[in-house]
Amino acid sequence: MKNKLMHLSNETINLDFVNKVEKLSGSSVRRCMQCGKCSAGCPMATFMEHPPNRIVRLLQLGQGKRILAGRSIWYCASCETCTTRCPNTVNLAAIMDALRKLSWDADGPSKESYVQLANRLFIENIRTYGRQYEMRLGAVFNLRSGRLLKDFLLGPKLISRGKLKVFHQKNRNLDEIEAIFSRIEEMRKKGEAL
Amino acid sequence: MSRIGVFVCHCGENISRTVDVERVAGEAAQLPGVAYSCDYKYMCSDPGQNLLKKALAEHNLDGVLVAACSPRMHEKTFRKAAQSAGLNPYLCDMGNIREHCSWVHEDREAATAKASDIVKLMVERVKRGKALAPITVPVTKRALVIGGGIAGIQAALDIADAGKEVILVEREPSIGGHMAQLSETFPTLDCSQCIMTPKMVDVANHPNITLYTYAEIEKVDGYIGNFQVTIRRKARSVVEDKCTGCGVCTSKCPKKKIPNEFDQNLGMRSAIYVPFPQAVPNTPVIDRENCTMFQSGKCGVCAKVCGPQAIDYEQQDTLVVEAVGAVVVATGFKLYSIDRKPEESPIKGYGEFGYGLIPDVIDGLTFERLASASGPTGGKILRPSDGKEPRQVVFIQCVGSRAREKGISYCSKICCMYTAKHTMLYRHKVHDGQAYVFYMDARTPGKGYDEFWRRAVEVEDAVYIRGMVSRLYQRDGKIVVMGSDTLVGVQVEIEADLVVLATAVQAQDGADLLAQKLGISYDKYNFYSEAHAKLKPVECATAGIYLAGACQGPKDIPDTVSQASAAAAKVITLFSKDQLERDPVVAKVNEKYCVGCLQCKKVCPYGAVEEKEIRDRQGNLVKVVANVNAGVCGGCGTCQATCPSKSVELDGYTDEQIMAMIEAL
Repeated sequence: MKNKLMHLSNETINLDFVNKVEKLSGSSVRRCMQCGKCSAGCPMATFMEHPPNRIVRLLQLGQGKRILAGRSIWYCASCETCTTRCPNTVNLAAIMDALRKLSWDADGPSKESYVQLANRLFIENIRTYGRQYEMRLGAVFNLRSGRLLKDFLLGPKLISRGKLKVFHQKNRNLDEIEAIFSRIEEMRKKGEAL
Repeated sequence: MSRIGVFVCHCGENISRTVDVERVAGEAAQLPGVAYSCDYKYMCSDPGQNLLKKALAEHNLDGVLVAACSPRMHEKTFRKAAQSAGLNPYLCDMGNIREHCSWVHEDREAATAKASDIVKLMVERVKRGKALAPITVPVTKRALVIGGGIAGIQAALDIADAGKEVILVEREPSIGGHMAQLSETFPTLDCSQCIMTPKMVDVANHPNITLYTYAEIEKVDGYIGNFQVTIRRKARSVVEDKCTGCGVCTSKCPKKKIPNEFDQNLGMRSAIYVPFPQAVPNTPVIDRENCTMFQSGKCGVCAKVCGPQAIDYEQQDTLVVEAVGAVVVATGFKLYSIDRKPEESPIKGYGEFGYGLIPDVIDGLTFERLASASGPTGGKILRPSDGKEPRQVVFIQCVGSRAREKGISYCSKICCMYTAKHTMLYRHKVHDGQAYVFYMDARTPGKGYDEFWRRAVEVEDAVYIRGMVSRLYQRDGKIVVMGSDTLVGVQVEIEADLVVLATAVQAQDGADLLAQKLGISYDKYNFYSEAHAKLKPVECATAGIYLAGACQGPKDIPDTVSQASAAAAKVITLFSKDQLERDPVVAKVNEKYCVGCLQCKKVCPYGAVEEKEIRDRQGNLVKVVANVNAGVCGGCGTCQATCPSKSVELDGYTDEQIMAMIEAL
């Protein structure tokens, strides 16, 4: 996908997707002049197949599919260095957020990625326990991802140092947390939140 | 014994980097006849000049040698300084130890020795120099402007408004040039015709402007202040004085299917035609190659229908000679044609773009005509092959420009901006159409220019793709554009309905021939050379000839108008004096020795040598000798080298001086 010939036409340029990104992020992608300052300062750029400036470039060309096909947006650490330094006020961190949200909604290939899986389990944990239950997070992640023994040997070390609790502790104010989740879900339905 | 002062300049570090200037000054002090020597960081600066003046007074010097740069720029500076200190300016000379020494050598030891040698021989020249008085010549206060585009029009109007007579010569039947062809102009998108045609009318109505359209320069003689220009007025076959411009002839002409050059061959015109409705003058011209009357002798419709009987099939070219004092050259540009590779050209051509054989691949000027309200489509963007409205238009920049192998190495300067403008015009006329631009760099320096380009991208939705197109080919009525986006790093393919090439700006056809007639220099691309790239951008090296507009190099309208006004200002400055002072470096004939062989007359490139009869008191002819017209003499010295009896010599470059210089080495 990364190097595949790009056909450009009114049909292949998906402006709907770009408009969604612009609306969700509140930032124009057209302002970008491709100076590359975002990629220059990005701590995660070396891990990305599309560095931040190329993500914007692909949006300019209406090629959202190419972005979602890759995992670059999931490597973004949301440190906002790009946004802070951009000379043309392109809010790249917000664009990354929007892309992640659209990727989630689009059931794109990245939905199956481990990053997304980890994110989902993380959120589910918070909703269920009101705080993170690492033991469960690790166990379910390994089960679902099919990589049963991933980081397995780290377990005893973490337990012995008290970093990994065997039993969970529920948050006392679980109701309030559930209220937050419900409210966001409600807002999403109305299109008021990401 | 002479008392000469030698001043050695460091030129910042330009000279002192490779030449030990202190040693040169020290060695100069030892030369016989040198009374004073020193070195200084910047001799041309105010303190440097004061140093020279002070030394002149303190050491009672009778000659000055400044060892510095080429005399081209600063000879005048130092002569003026010497003059203000009471020395005859022609006793001040320059030794070139920069261009001729420090810039071209690396070995410091050898360069220093060479600089010392240059100083040594120049001192010998200064020693034998003569005090000269400048020559004055009268100035004819009329200007010739060659080219009736926006540059020529602006220059002519400015000079004419200053109260001087102007002769404006235009090769085409109407003035207006390329600007009259344009639709809307960047960065304000005002209609080109709307701002151009009033100026054209002003030219026609101005009492100080004589307009010769459909005319070319045949010959140029003379020199600054005193040019004689022969102008060929091509036969129009229509008598301008009689023609009322009613237009009946053009509408009745039976031959109407001739491609209209003004519309880049998109529209049609008749054999007797006015190039465009707003033409100035509004007098038709018969295209003899396409006129039935001229080809077969059978037609004559236009003569029959012409009320004022202005048609004259017998009309011949006429030559007009005009005396002028200054010339403004404003011959403009042409666009690089991607048609078949021209013979004998370094340009390889664009086979991969179809050599201009794909009908819907057009150049920028053709797009201008399509977008122009007065164009062949009435301002609708319709593609030439089938007249359909294109849904996808691809623009390709740098076609011919910045392509050392394929075309031309320079940047054509205007294409980035006009392509951005084209995408906007297209979007304004075809709302759901998509414009793509392939570019290597977007070069938009200028007031409001970058904002204009960004507007095309951010507001008018032009998709800019950084990368060049490799190939264009036809497939199912579309043009397949194979390009790449180097920012993403992928190949890009677009099926376009219309492709617009921003082809390079080139010097006008015949620019080199005109330059040879005028005696001005031009570069390898036939653009005319200015005297100094930074400090004399409108003057030619040939005195009295000035440049305006794209004939000097690619230029947009604001730059062209600025330069035209600057050239006009230079002409007006020249005309502000009744007499012109010239350098007295001219040839003089020693009548005693001259045998009148007149070899000098044969070789003189300026035509400055005349015959002179010497008679005794009774009026009997004693002999015929050569005589040099000091006003015409260019001071080249060819006569001096030719003269078998050594009886003609150039002031400031006498045989004695030159022999002494050689012997000093």
